[in-house]
Amino acid sequence: MLRALSRGTLPARALPVRARRRRRVVLAAVVLAGVLLIVVLVTSLAGSGNSGVSTVGGNASAVVYQAGHRPLAPEFTGTTLTGSKLSFSSYRGKVVVLNFWGSWCVPCREEAPILAAVAEKYQPSGVSFLGVDVRDTTASALAFTHSFHVAYPSVIDQSSAITLDFTAKVPIAGTPTTLVVDRTGHIAGAVFGTVTYPGLTAIVAKVTAEGG
Amino acid sequence: MTDVRAPETDPFDPAAEPDDHPRPGPSSPGAAFGPADWLKWGWRQLTSMRIALILLFLLALASVPGSMLPQQGSNPSGVQQYYTSHPDLAPWLDRLGLFNVFAAPWFAAIYLLLFASLVGCVVPRTFRLAGSARTLPPRAPRHLARLPRSAEYTTALPPQEAVEVAARVLSGRGFRLRRPDDADSSQDWVSAEKGYLREAGNLLFHLALLGVLVSVALGGLFGYKADRLLVQGQSFADTVSALDEWHPGRFVTAADLGPFTIKLNRFDASYIASGEQRGQPSSFDARVTYTEHPGGPARTFDLDVNRPLSVDGAKVYLIGHGYAPEFTVTDARGHVVYKQATPFVAGASGNFLSEGVVKVPDAQPEQLGFTGVFVPTAVNVGGTLESVFPAADNPAVSLIAYAGNLGMDSGAPQSVYELDTSAMHRLTASPQVLQPGQSLKLPNGRGTVTFTGYVPWVSLAITHDPGQLPALICGIASLGGLLLSFMIRRRRVFVRARSGPSAQNGTTVQVGGLARTDAGGGFEAEFAGLAAELRSAHEQAAPARPAPSAQPTRSAQPPPQQAAEPRHEGE
Amino acid sequence: MSVNVALGHVSNAFLIAALVIYSLSVVAFAGDFAFGRPRRAAAAAHGQQARDRAAALASVGAASAAGAAADQAPAPATASAAPADDAGTMPELEVPALRAIREAGRWVVAAVVFAMLGAAAHTTAVITRGLAVHRAPWGNMYEFITALTCVAVIFFLFAMIRYRVWTLGVFVMGAVVVTLGLADTLIYTAPGDLVPALQSYWLDIHVTAMTLATGIFFVPAVLGFVYLWVDRYTRRVAAGQAAPGNGIVRRLPTIEQLDRLTYRTIVFGFPVWTFGVIAGAIWADQAWGRYWGWDPVETWAFITWVLYAAFLHARATAGWRGRRAHYVQLLGFASLIFNILVVQVFIAGMHSYSGVS
Repeated sequence: MLRALSRGTLPARALPVRARRRRRVVLAAVVLAGVLLIVVLVTSLAGSGNSGVSTVGGNASAVVYQAGHRPLAPEFTGTTLTGSKLSFSSYRGKVVVLNFWGSWCVPCREEAPILAAVAEKYQPSGVSFLGVDVRDTTASALAFTHSFHVAYPSVIDQSSAITLDFTAKVPIAGTPTTLVVDRTGHIAGAVFGTVTYPGLTAIVAKVTAEGG
Repeated sequence: MTDVRAPETDPFDPAAEPDDHPRPGPSSPGAAFGPADWLKWGWRQLTSMRIALILLFLLALASVPGSMLPQQGSNPSGVQQYYTSHPDLAPWLDRLGLFNVFAAPWFAAIYLLLFASLVGCVVPRTFRLAGSARTLPPRAPRHLARLPRSAEYTTALPPQEAVEVAARVLSGRGFRLRRPDDADSSQDWVSAEKGYLREAGNLLFHLALLGVLVSVALGGLFGYKADRLLVQGQSFADTVSALDEWHPGRFVTAADLGPFTIKLNRFDASYIASGEQRGQPSSFDARVTYTEHPGGPARTFDLDVNRPLSVDGAKVYLIGHGYAPEFTVTDARGHVVYKQATPFVAGASGNFLSEGVVKVPDAQPEQLGFTGVFVPTAVNVGGTLESVFPAADNPAVSLIAYAGNLGMDSGAPQSVYELDTSAMHRLTASPQVLQPGQSLKLPNGRGTVTFTGYVPWVSLAITHDPGQLPALICGIASLGGLLLSFMIRRRRVFVRARSGPSAQNGTTVQVGGLARTDAGGGFEAEFAGLAAELRSAHEQAAPARPAPSAQPTRSAQPPPQQAAEPRHEGE
Repeated sequence: MSVNVALGHVSNAFLIAALVIYSLSVVAFAGDFAFGRPRRAAAAAHGQQARDRAAALASVGAASAAGAAADQAPAPATASAAPADDAGTMPELEVPALRAIREAGRWVVAAVVFAMLGAAAHTTAVITRGLAVHRAPWGNMYEFITALTCVAVIFFLFAMIRYRVWTLGVFVMGAVVVTLGLADTLIYTAPGDLVPALQSYWLDIHVTAMTLATGIFFVPAVLGFVYLWVDRYTRRVAAGQAAPGNGIVRRLPTIEQLDRLTYRTIVFGFPVWTFGVIAGAIWADQAWGRYWGWDPVETWAFITWVLYAAFLHARATAGWRGRRAHYVQLLGFASLIFNILVVQVFIAGMHSYSGVS
């Protein structure tokens, strides 16, 4: 009796069958879409992205930028390990191999002989080599250069400020990173991770061969 | 009517399950159960209250191991320790995902099913609420005395006007009304309903929970977490290679980091010096200078444990601190090959007894390594050095020296807090204790290591979570919905007026009411108040109206005073 | 800021006084069981309702109920059983509370007086502790338990007087005495300062909410045990295993009233707990850099929330009402206690501020 008296709202069975079926289809679609969305979100969350700071030796990826698509290398000044002032603008007009390294960094120690060999090969042809020593101290860095007989200067970047400027142009994700800058001051190639002798020499040769 | 009864067959809301969930049966009569029927049956089960209840239990149960076992995300060293102490059990636990419970697929399955059940329940009810908000209250039942609450009294007003007055009172109280249409013009009644917000609050609460889940997912996809340890005097620029830990969301790249730079100018910690709480920290203060972008203006900020720095869309938090003793190492040739503050990490023994490692990979002729213990307030207890107070009142360092191959020249990156001595030989027979300024001469002229002093370090967490604000808004919305659904009752009140029983008695007015759920109690009081208000409204209206000439005696008589018994069902 | 040790001692003294006075009230409530005016709780409520109706609606016109009664679904006619719908109804505040207390008998009067005096002493203890340490007095476990039992007592006194359920007093006050006694003997902590991580105004908001919610949930937890006991007795009587007419059960409220009261108290506490969890998340974000990290205490607060939500769902699910729902509710409170006593103390996490070594 109470059921009768309180059945004031329009019961669903009074709706035409088609409207009810449509409603159910809409409901099912909404729910399915929602669940799919959440499944996609959650599964793409699991195992998110690239963790780890320095790249493991052997995991390097090399990029070469075509002429016209090369980011401009930012200008910077700094102090070298021996205490003298250095301005990157002074390297304009030359091909520069810019290597971001640290004495604490295992892959950097691994690639140091390779860099030394490439330097030995290309410095006579006018290619400059410059190091950017990140998160390091002068004493340890100098000891490193002595151990590996690094003949070219390195600029101190203890706070990674120089690295920050370059990260705005190329996606530097760790240490070591090696960039090859062309004579116009644009970044022509990059190796993210440990360099290999054939890989780096290929890029350097290509950039050197351009424009006189 | 009461919430102890069966809401699934609640007469108050008959458009519930029987209509929207047809009995499972074959799609075409006479055919066997097809897959579509199974799906329908499965869906009906999933969105039932029973399954929701079971899923809630499962969710609670599944969270328990996540709180008992060390979890990979928050306590990776604890997981390592578990492996060493339970070498047989640990791999099995790992296979079951018990070291990362809250990211495990089975945990996700539980809350996804729960939310599917929630959505499947909430969406039809939203339709129904929208529908009922547009439809009118039901017609007034014939026998109001049978309702859970009812009252009856007489008034001098004619029935139609009595109903009008009642309608005005109810409308003034916020009720939605329904009057008889022309077909029922013989009856004088009005139906009133109120409290739709209750269901709206309930739905808001459940949808807001869904919103929290989506916000968390958004934050995980588009946000990031990073850590950096900073020694006093050092600065760092916010770029991936400068961070110690970098955990980006799936859609985050290194370019999303804000280009700020932070310098730790000074860190001070003070500790309670006496009493029962001696040794407990009393305040931390990290003074930093930061620039929002290279070349921007430098600003100072006092970073504190409960006071993060907001910069470039990220927040920088002060998480921890410790001591970094400074060492100078000269090698066999007398060159200074190491000169820096080395962060040592406090162990579990308390009072900031800290352990650390010094690696000198470019010492000649052999690489050198040291494991050390830094004791802020050192006291020699039976031969071992112990720390009795966390402040550096009497600092000392104890070192063990090694020489050989650190393993740094090739292979995998190493932790800066661990020394791999497998390819090294020990130089000092026992740990050597150094006071600030003292040196340790290594045997065979290998060099010296000098403990020159110490500086503090802080660990910073840099986070960006775009889902944070939406999650907060959804959380508050859920609370609002909860309060609405608990405090508001859906209730109906009906008023009927008819002449009689005799000419002198005027119009009999019957008032009846029922509440769907009476969780907060008080419908009795509300109904009683409503009845009294209607009664007094009728009394006020009656003397003002001139008596209809047909019944002069009615107006002359005052309405009879009789005690009323609002009836409770079953008496 | 230095701790005011003298005020700390004052606080301790008031707490001991509260314990003693509470014990007296427990004795008086028990005395009501043994020697008090023989009455059935439901019948008393029944008579109360009749008085309520008369008082509130004296001016409303009469209705003759007799005719319609015959059409109704049959309800038990005995005076000792409440009508079906009335079974869950609780009489409201229509008759002044003082008169109701007086009419309940001398033992109840004494018990209520003692309970109120004890609550006053207890509140003074909490306030003086707060003054002694110049902050909200719930910064470690001892202070937390002291404060939450105070909330529980005050909340229960309100509910008991509002619904006239004097016979529940012995259970709730007894539980409070035991809890406070244990806290004072086992985990007493001298007044002291907070670690820097706790020096935030969010302490006042988050922990206050949790203290309130726990104190509120304390009451339905005790009532849940009473419910289960009465329910078990009723079933045993029905199965012929026990004699009907147990004196204690006869004096307790009906099963439906107990269920209703438990439900209403949980409904009161659940939003407070929800708010406490949200406030905790906001504070965690300020202090630790993330608003939810599945820290063990966070996880168990979540488990507690889910279990109370399960209770609310259970009451709307056929087959889960009654005894099973109360098991769920007690499981929720157990997880809450486990969180306070075990997780915060023994499981290392970022929440280890209990002050218990």
